[in-house]
Amino acid sequence: MGRYLLRRLGFALLLVLVVSSASLLLTHLAPGDITSDQALALDPAALARLRAELGLDRPLAVQYLSWLGGVVRLDFGRSLLYARPVSTLISERALNTAVLAIAALMLATAIGLPLGVYSGSRSRGAGRSVVRVLSILALSVPPLIGSLALVFLAARTGWLPVGGMTSAAGINLSWAQWLADLARHIPIPALALALPLAATLERLQSQAIEKATREPFVAASRARGLTQAQAVVRHAWPVSLRSVLGLYGVMIGTLFSGSFVVEVVTSWPGLGRLMYDALKARDLYLVAGCAASGAFFLAAGTWIADVLLALADPRVRSQEAP
Amino acid sequence: MIAFTGWRWWSGQQKPAGEGMEIVFSDVSTRGGVLTSSLRSEPRTFNRWVDRNFPPDLISQLTQGKLIRVNRSTQELEPALAETWTASPDNRTFTLTLREAAWSDGTPFTSADVVFTFKAIYDPKVNSILASSLEVDGKPLTVTAPDARTVVIAFPGPFGPGIAMLDNLTLAPKHKLEAALAAGTFAQAWGVATPVNELVSLGPFVLSRYEPGQRLIFDRNPRYWKKDTAGTQLPYVDQIVLEVVPDQNAELVRLQAGQIDMLQQQVRPEDIATLRPLVDQGKLQLLELGVGTDPDLFFFNLRPQRWAKDPRGSWITRREFRQAISHAVDREAFANTVFLGAGVPIWGPITPGNQKWFSPNVPRYPFSIDRAKELLAGIGLTNRDADEWLEDEKGTEARFTLLTYRGNSSLERSAAVLREDLRPLGIAVDVVALEQGALVERMIKGDFESIFFFFSATSFDPAMSADFWLSSGSAHIWNIGQATPATEWEKQIDDLTHQVMSSVDQAERKRLFDQVQKIFAENLPAIYFVAPRMYIGVSARVGSLSPTILRPQLLWAADTITVRTPVPTGQGGR
Repeated sequence: MGRYLLRRLGFALLLVLVVSSASLLLTHLAPGDITSDQALALDPAALARLRAELGLDRPLAVQYLSWLGGVVRLDFGRSLLYARPVSTLISERALNTAVLAIAALMLATAIGLPLGVYSGSRSRGAGRSVVRVLSILALSVPPLIGSLALVFLAARTGWLPVGGMTSAAGINLSWAQWLADLARHIPIPALALALPLAATLERLQSQAIEKATREPFVAASRARGLTQAQAVVRHAWPVSLRSVLGLYGVMIGTLFSGSFVVEVVTSWPGLGRLMYDALKARDLYLVAGCAASGAFFLAAGTWIADVLLALADPRVRSQEAP
Repeated sequence: MIAFTGWRWWSGQQKPAGEGMEIVFSDVSTRGGVLTSSLRSEPRTFNRWVDRNFPPDLISQLTQGKLIRVNRSTQELEPALAETWTASPDNRTFTLTLREAAWSDGTPFTSADVVFTFKAIYDPKVNSILASSLEVDGKPLTVTAPDARTVVIAFPGPFGPGIAMLDNLTLAPKHKLEAALAAGTFAQAWGVATPVNELVSLGPFVLSRYEPGQRLIFDRNPRYWKKDTAGTQLPYVDQIVLEVVPDQNAELVRLQAGQIDMLQQQVRPEDIATLRPLVDQGKLQLLELGVGTDPDLFFFNLRPQRWAKDPRGSWITRREFRQAISHAVDREAFANTVFLGAGVPIWGPITPGNQKWFSPNVPRYPFSIDRAKELLAGIGLTNRDADEWLEDEKGTEARFTLLTYRGNSSLERSAAVLREDLRPLGIAVDVVALEQGALVERMIKGDFESIFFFFSATSFDPAMSADFWLSSGSAHIWNIGQATPATEWEKQIDDLTHQVMSSVDQAERKRLFDQVQKIFAENLPAIYFVAPRMYIGVSARVGSLSPTILRPQLLWAADTITVRTPVPTGQGGR
C-alpha cells in the first residue's frame, strides 16, 4: 500500500511539471504577449524596452530553463500581470476556491448519492423517472446558462446576494458575522458547480446500485430476511461505491482548480478567474502556476480517491499488497 | 439570454416593487451615502503613469489630481490644482499658480511635485504611457518651479491644444515616489500589493481597501481641496465601492437587482429593452450619452510589402475598391442589425458626438450596389466565370480575410453584416474572430488582410491623437510607423495635421482639420459605417450627474455626484 501511494505521488509530481511546462510553452507560442495591449500606445523603442524589462526578449529556451530552475526551488516566478510572486497570488485565490469547492462537493454528494441509490434501487416508478429527468436536465444545461439562471433567481427574489464572496462590510464584521456573510454568498456559486456534479453522481451511483443489486450476495441477504432497503444499504451500496469513488478524484481536481465560468459569472475570486485573467493577458508564469496548481489538485484528488477506495473496498487493499 | 428572457417575462408578471411598499427618500440629497459601481477587470497596478488600462485610469480619476482639466461634459478648460495661469504672447510658455492643497497624508502639495511628475514621466526607464501625450513634436516640455506655488511650463514649439495638454497629466507625490524613481523602480511602485495606506491622494477619494478579486473601496479624502459654490466640502458621497464583476451579464443583473448603482460602460443595445421596465418603474435612469466618439472601423492592410507577392494587391489597395465597399453597405440597415436601431450613419472617424471637431462636409457613399459594381469594374473586377464571385484580369477571385475581436458582440455582428453585404457584390469575405492579444499582435506586425476593430478615444482634440493621423504614428493602423508617407494623400494629411497641432488659432485649426477629414473620407484608409448612440444605466437614487461620452462616463466627476439615502417611512420625503 505504501509503495503504491508513493508511486502515485511520483506520478503526481510529474503531472504537475508536464502540465505547467506545457501551459507555459503553449502560452508563449500563442500570438501576442503581455505587452500587446500597450502596443498602440508606445513607440517601438519603448515597447522593446518594456519587453526587455519583462525578460520577454530572451529566447524561449532561456526563459523556460530559467523558470524551471525556479520551480525546482518551488519558486514559480513573478506574475507579469500583477508584478507579484505567482505563489502568493495562487495561495490567496486557492483558499477562496477551496471554500467553494468543499461546499460544492458536499452539496453534490448530499444530493447526488442518495438520489442515485434511490433511483438505482427501483426498477420503475414516477419518483425514479423524475430523478432521471432532473439529472439529465442538470447535465445538459451548460455551466454558463446554469450560473446565469441562478444569478437571475437570486437577483429576482432577493433571497441571496447575486455575486461576490463577501459583502463590502465584511472586513468590519466579527468572525461569526463574517461566516454568516460568507454563508449567504456561497449557495449560488456552490449550486452552480454542484448541480451538474450531483447529476453525474446520481447517474453513476444509480447504475452501480442497479448492477450491485443483481449480485448473488444481495439476493442471499434478501433470502436471510433483510428488507430491500436494508439489503441495498448494507450490501449493495458499499460495493457500488468503487466506481463512484473513482469519480471523486476527478471531481476534487476539477473543483479545486477552479471553474472559469462559474467564478466569472458569480464574481467569485478564485483560481479559475485568476487563470482566466492570466490567459487573457498572456501572463506566462501565472498561467503555468495556475496550471500547476490545477494539476496538483487533480493528482491529489485522484490520490485521495484511491485511499478512500482502498479503505472502502478490502479487495483493493489485497490487490495492492505485495 | 435565457436568464434575461426569463427576467423580462417575470418582470411583466410582477407588480412594480413600489406598489406594495413605500420607499421614501430624504429631500436633502447633498452629502453622505455610499455609491456602488462595478469594474469588469481588476487593476494590475495602481500606477497610472505606466498602465494605460481602464482600471488605473478610473482609480486615478477618483484619487489623483490634475493641474488643469478639460470638463468632459462641456469640453471647456477648468482650473484644478493650478488655480490661475498666464500665457506668453507666443502661447508657448505658461506660468501656473498652484492653490494651497495637501496630499491625503497631510504633506503639502507644491511645485516640486509637479516638476517631479514630469521628471518621472520623461524618464526612459519608467516607460510612462503618458510621455507621448505630454510631448510636442516628440520633444518634452520644460518645467521649472521658481517657488513652491509657481510652475513655469515651456513648450518646445507651438502646440494647438496649448495648456489643455495638461489634462493628460496625473500628478505624482514626490515624497512617496522619489526614492523609487532614483532607484529605477518607479514603474514597479504602487503595485497592487502596495498597502493602501502607502497610496496618497490629491483627489476626492482615497483608496481605503482593496480586496483582490472582489472590490475596491474609496473613502472621502478629508483634505480634498474642492468645495461647491455653497462652501460645502466635496465630495458629496462618503464612500465609493467598485465591485469587480467580470461578466457583463452578471453586471447587468446586479444593476437590475439594485446591488450596484451604475455601470462603468455603456449599456449594450440588446440590453436596453431589458432595462426599460425598471426605467418605467422609476428605479433606474437610462441616460443617453449621445453618439459615440470612437466608432468601430474596418480597414485593409495598406503596407505595400504585404501585397508585393500577392496578385490581389493590385486591386485591394486601390481607393476605388474601398469606395465600392463603402457604397455596398446600407448604413441604416447596418445600424438596425448591429445596434438594434440605436446608431447613426457616419463617413469618417470623427462622429457627430464630437461636436467641436465634426465636419459634415465630407464625401459620402450612399448605398448603391450599382455604383459599387461600376467602381469595381473600373479596376478590373468583374464576374468572369459561372460562380457568384468577381475575378480580376488574371482570374484571381475577389476574396479577402477579415479579422475581428472574438467576444465583442457588436464587432462580430458588424463583420457578419459586412460579409453578407459584400456577397451580392461578388466579393467573398472570410471572417476570423481572434482573441484580442492575438489580433493586436497581427495588427502591429502587419500580418493581416483586413480588420474590423475599435479604438477608444481619450480626448476630443485631434492633436491629442496624432499617432492615428500621422503616417509615422504607432496607431496609423493601416500602415504603421512609416519613415516617409507612402502616398501623396497621407503626406497631405501629415502636413495638415502638423498645422492642426501647431496652430493656436482655434478657428484655423478647425478649418484645417475639416480638410483632413475630407481627404480621409475621399481615400478611406479606414471605413466607418455606423456610430452607436450610447446609453448608460444608473440607479434612480444617484443624482447630480454630468454624463460624457468618454470613459469613465460618470465617475470623471465623482466629487459632485450625490446619492439619496432611504430614510424610515414617515420622516418626510416626496
